[in-house]
Amino acid sequence: MNRRSFLRTSAVLASGLAALAASLSPLRDLGDYTTLDRFVQKYYKELTPEEMDKVLKRIAADVERDYGIRPHVRDLKPMDGVQFVYALNLTRCIGCRKCVHACVNENNQSRTPEIQYIRVLRMPNGSLDIDKADHNYAPESVPEKGHFYMPVQCQQCKNPPCVKVCPVHATWQETDGITVIDYDWCIGCRYCEAACPYWARRFNFTKPQIPRERLNPEMAYLGNRPRRQGVMEKCHFCIQRTRAGRYPACVEVCPAGARKFGNVLDPNSEVSYILRTKRVFIQLKEELGTSPRFFYYFDV
Amino acid sequence: MKRAVRNYLVFLQRCGRIAFVGDWRYYVWMGALTVLCLVGLNAYAKQLVHGLITTGMSDQVSWGVYIANFTFLVGVAAAAVMMVIPVYIYNNEDLHDLVIFGELLAVAAILMCLAFVTVDLGRPDRFWHLIPGLGQLNFPASMLSWDVIVLNGYLLLNVHICGYLLYCRYQGRKPAKWFYIPFVFVAIVWAVSIHTVTAFLYVGLGGRPFWNSSIVGPRFLASAFTAGPALIILALQVVRRVTATTPAHTISSTRHAPVPGPSSSRSATLDDLEKLAQHLPEFRPVPMEIRQKLLASTTVLSVPAGATLLRQGELDAHAFFVLEGEIVVKREESGRLRITRTIRPGGQFGEVSALNNTPRMATAIAEEPALVLRVPVGDLRRLMQQHELGQVIHNRMSERLMITDRALLTLRSIVQVSMLINVFLLVNEVFKEFYSGDLHVASSRYLYLGLHGYHSLVPWIWTAVAFNLVAMFLLVLPVSRSLKWLNLTCVLSITGIWIEKGMGLVIPGFIPTPLGQIVEYRPSLNETLVCVGIWSFGLLAYTVFLRMAVPILQGRLSRANEGQSLGATAARSAGAGAVH
Repeated sequence: MNRRSFLRTSAVLASGLAALAASLSPLRDLGDYTTLDRFVQKYYKELTPEEMDKVLKRIAADVERDYGIRPHVRDLKPMDGVQFVYALNLTRCIGCRKCVHACVNENNQSRTPEIQYIRVLRMPNGSLDIDKADHNYAPESVPEKGHFYMPVQCQQCKNPPCVKVCPVHATWQETDGITVIDYDWCIGCRYCEAACPYWARRFNFTKPQIPRERLNPEMAYLGNRPRRQGVMEKCHFCIQRTRAGRYPACVEVCPAGARKFGNVLDPNSEVSYILRTKRVFIQLKEELGTSPRFFYYFDV
Repeated sequence: MKRAVRNYLVFLQRCGRIAFVGDWRYYVWMGALTVLCLVGLNAYAKQLVHGLITTGMSDQVSWGVYIANFTFLVGVAAAAVMMVIPVYIYNNEDLHDLVIFGELLAVAAILMCLAFVTVDLGRPDRFWHLIPGLGQLNFPASMLSWDVIVLNGYLLLNVHICGYLLYCRYQGRKPAKWFYIPFVFVAIVWAVSIHTVTAFLYVGLGGRPFWNSSIVGPRFLASAFTAGPALIILALQVVRRVTATTPAHTISSTRHAPVPGPSSSRSATLDDLEKLAQHLPEFRPVPMEIRQKLLASTTVLSVPAGATLLRQGELDAHAFFVLEGEIVVKREESGRLRITRTIRPGGQFGEVSALNNTPRMATAIAEEPALVLRVPVGDLRRLMQQHELGQVIHNRMSERLMITDRALLTLRSIVQVSMLINVFLLVNEVFKEFYSGDLHVASSRYLYLGLHGYHSLVPWIWTAVAFNLVAMFLLVLPVSRSLKWLNLTCVLSITGIWIEKGMGLVIPGFIPTPLGQIVEYRPSLNETLVCVGIWSFGLLAYTVFLRMAVPILQGRLSRANEGQSLGATAARSAGAGAVH
């Protein structure tokens, strides 16, 4: 190689590398995208108890660093002999959306951009046709004449399409009927979001923002621990509460008593009573064969 | 073994180096593509940092142009390989050389597909969760896991087939059938599978009535068979154009000027035949008796550099074997001359038209002073009865790099039939949606007419419908037999199908949402730049593949000229300068 062609080749090479570096320069702000520990973390179902312990400690440390609050993070397992179902009384719901906000607070959902698991639909009396739903109703006061309200959230299907389509088993159904997501395993392809017939799944399109004073420090691995950018989340029946014997936040907050929750395997539970005595239930989009664990009913 | 590896590495190295050599058109084209790639990379880096919020996607419309382009390109990849059917099953010689171009297009398209799904991931750093054994691939339940397997498998299949055939051609040996034909047949079935699986990705979702229709699969195949070959028709003409040396008319104008012809000719001797046998081992077993007979009618021509030995369009009943020097064969297609191959000692030319008694298909010119054996066609036939020799001559005849107009018209008839089926299936779909008029029509209504005052897709889909219909009419009319109209038709078909399958299929599936909400989607600037980057990357890859493949097919890059510097090889294949 002579001197001239050497100079020319190195000039081309240098400018090429400079252009490549320039085009990749935004990556300087990648910050806390991942770490080696998080990158190699195993799948939830393959973690030994010791490994899970380490992971929980790391999550707690991350939360403390980011929010200045020491959280209590647990990996709560489903209880034997328990299968949760939800029943919602459409006659009682007044459309106040208190459940929506209680859910956001309880489950550490992103405030900017806003992520909410519950969507309350305002329907004209006489029809369950979802195409007539109003998502953005904003009257002076609720309830309004001529309308009823139908809150929709994850229906915890017995036959969940979202679980079937996930290419990496990042979402699955637990023995107590709750469909959960391993936020550290999800690759963010959003196929589950396309598959869900209830529009119940939410994606973290960017880094979720939660004001530190609003953080709920009582956390579960499969529940409300803060999520990262690029993963899916959804209603999990407040796993951090319900697996510890409490009601979901939306049930607790409902001022109209429209929301009922409990163990369907316990014949004395409120939900068992409702399912035994009410004549008509609505399982949304029953024809799809998803078999929701979420029942709508009317007082008749 | 060691030597085989060394040979292969030399081959790869030479292929790699030739990708950086070309004329100014090549550098401009590659430079522009590189810049666009970097722009796309920059946009992707931003997306990686800030998340998919930099796109126009939302929880309501959670897939956008990335998945739309992915879907379209899977079709292109599938269709590109389906072209091998006429060649291997029906022995259609017209398309024979084009198979490699088709398969290379498939490789480039799959690379783009993989790039498009990767940029669509929220957590690309977790890609390893998809690797069987290492991660948790949800096979066979998830259609996406099927897609991971079939796309990567398809990539490997095509890389193997193209790589092997090109390497054999480079080495100047005949490819072993058992080492590629089975893969070719697997690839044909596989091509159908990649597109069917991609259709099932949508069809399998019961909660999305717009996609949950059994006609989506057939529609995907029909539109792929239209857009894929249409793209190849255009690509082949570009290859043909840029591998042309000079516009044909400059040659035609000098046609009547004195062109140096053979400077001397004499009868062949047994020594000449022995020389041929040295370069063409299959000639050795030819018995003395036949050799003697040959001498009576065969002449040896000694020609200076630049002499024309035979001319395209002329009628003549002789075949030629090169004894010394190098002959190039150039073909005139659509007003331009293009080198189709280079013949070295032991090689033959002119035998096809001699055997078929057709006009010469190309012009043969001596590249350097050469010695050539001229054989009357009767003697050639007798020679071809010699088993080994006959086979070798026959095989070489079918290995020509010829992008003939006839090949393009064969592709046209594929596009023609597919487009008719495509439009027919579309009519079926539209009828079912609108005539029954049930609740599920909302997405179609949004797409074609607009819904509750939202109609951002309406102009797109009607453009697509118009393009497809115009293309269909042009295709059934004889006017599209002319290349100018055929090219217009191809552009219309490709654009129409790209819109119909991308914006027209992926986006309306999300609108309205399963809860009846209408949120429109418009790709963001950053998202668009990422797409531009990936398309440029695909074109860059295809250009590089062709840059390597064309000289190999032309015989300009081969084991035989390993000693020569690349500059010389490149300069001499002036025509192959800028392949794109």
